[in-house]
Amino acid sequence: MVDFARVQKELQECNKDIDVSGISIKLKGDSNSLTHLTGTIPGPLATPYEGGNFNIDIVLPDGYPFEPPRMQFATKVWHPNISSQSGAICLDILKDQWSPALTLKTALLSVQALLSAPEPDDPQDAVVAQQYLRDYQTFAATARYWTETFARTSTLGIEDKVKKLVEMGFPEALVRSTLESVGGDENMALEKLCSG
Amino acid sequence: MQNQDGLLADAEVEGISSTQASNVDDWENFRDDAIMQQQSSIWAEEAEKIPFVGDKAREPLSSLAAEYQSGSPILLEKIKLLTEEFAAIRRTRGDGNCFFRSFMFSYLERILESQDQEEVHRITGNVENCRRTLQSLGYADFTFEDFFALFLEQLESVLQGNKESISHDELIQRSRDQSVSDYSEWHITHVSTYVTWMRKEDVKHMKFLCAAFLSASPYNVSCLVVMFFRFVTSGEIRKRSEFFEPFILGLTNATVEQFCKSSVEPMGEESDHVHITALSDALGVPIRVVYLDRSSCDAGGVSVNHHDFIPNPPSGGDLPLAAATATAAGGSGGSETIKPFITLLYRPGHYDILYPK
Repeated sequence: MVDFARVQKELQECNKDIDVSGISIKLKGDSNSLTHLTGTIPGPLATPYEGGNFNIDIVLPDGYPFEPPRMQFATKVWHPNISSQSGAICLDILKDQWSPALTLKTALLSVQALLSAPEPDDPQDAVVAQQYLRDYQTFAATARYWTETFARTSTLGIEDKVKKLVEMGFPEALVRSTLESVGGDENMALEKLCSG
Repeated sequence: MQNQDGLLADAEVEGISSTQASNVDDWENFRDDAIMQQQSSIWAEEAEKIPFVGDKAREPLSSLAAEYQSGSPILLEKIKLLTEEFAAIRRTRGDGNCFFRSFMFSYLERILESQDQEEVHRITGNVENCRRTLQSLGYADFTFEDFFALFLEQLESVLQGNKESISHDELIQRSRDQSVSDYSEWHITHVSTYVTWMRKEDVKHMKFLCAAFLSASPYNVSCLVVMFFRFVTSGEIRKRSEFFEPFILGLTNATVEQFCKSSVEPMGEESDHVHITALSDALGVPIRVVYLDRSSCDAGGVSVNHHDFIPNPPSGGDLPLAAATATAAGGSGGSETIKPFITLLYRPGHYDILYPK
């Protein structure tokens, strides 16, 4: 059984100083479960990830906080320690170096630090790691391109997205609920609105 | 494998498909949860061999000799010497938490046997200091408060005369894998009464802990108390980082911060003299570690080495009364005259509890 009281406190603590850290944690999508969360971290400045907002899927195992939270990138990212396909993260504190002294927020801060300081010698994605070591310029360009393509959408304010979609002729209430359900991704919302 | 959860199934599927892929791609498929799954199965295997703390009956030291029958004669000689001084040994599981677990059991057992209220009062004060240390170091309260409350409860429950008191058998049960079935009731009702710094709404929080004891989860009282000691140890090391830094550098070449994060706070990380010094200082409990290894002195005679970890009073607060009087009686004699509260047997990589005659 997950320690829900602690998780609630963690969410409060983390979202209290969101203006300072830029890191937020929300319940995932429309689920009401405290065991399935979405964390958001801004790409660190002066890295190819600058300007991007990265969503991280968080699942809390039964033994939390004794067992580490399971985290993986929901936003596609080009990084030696993150799988470009599955978003799996290679980070010691999410494995054997986890401790109940850590929190979801400190774990997300560590993930953010990993974006600043890749460890290509201990890779999760071997292709990216090889590119990082052999051809850094191409690596940086690819990482920047991925950031622009996959992590940029969410930087547009939610109101701007609503406005844009409403201008396309969709009712505002539906636009808002659809955007909410896809985690604020404008393109996915449009797709869903068109197909629905 | 069919009855495993979905995540593992995913990892399995990936594993199968990777057989066709190149070597490099294999790394993709070592998912964190697959690795952790394997780790916990290793732990489960270990758990079958020995419980968190050993059997009800204290084992005579002769069983130790039997273990080394065909081993080094130096070890056998040393065990013989140990037999003169010590009556028995109690084994703990070799899961990386053995020092903290030995300390926990041995300490609570001493209190249970001595019913030393003053010692409980003294250590409670030191626990309070540790809590303040963690707060001043910037730890969020919710990360450690449960573990602190739980340790204080264990202390209270080994003192007889209140209705929450437990027997020696119960102490063993609690320290082992199984939990005590009627434990949760008093847990909820009594925790708020003496843990004054706990807010009312936190009491319901305790239900999580109760569930942890009652379920078959490996995270029972014993683990929670081990985590309490890890917090205390880490807080002490960080608070006196200048003092500990050279020792840590000698051990691991890591900074104090890195050391605490990687070698103190995670469960299952083994303890070294840095941990023992810090815990002994923080709680003010003298610990003797007796070394059973193959070292011998040149003169040919074999003797069993030991090291006493004598708490450093300025940081750790008060010493146990018995130890303090011993110091006073010994005059300037200092540390040598302090009697250890707890004696552990160290064999390279592992700690067990020793019982003096």
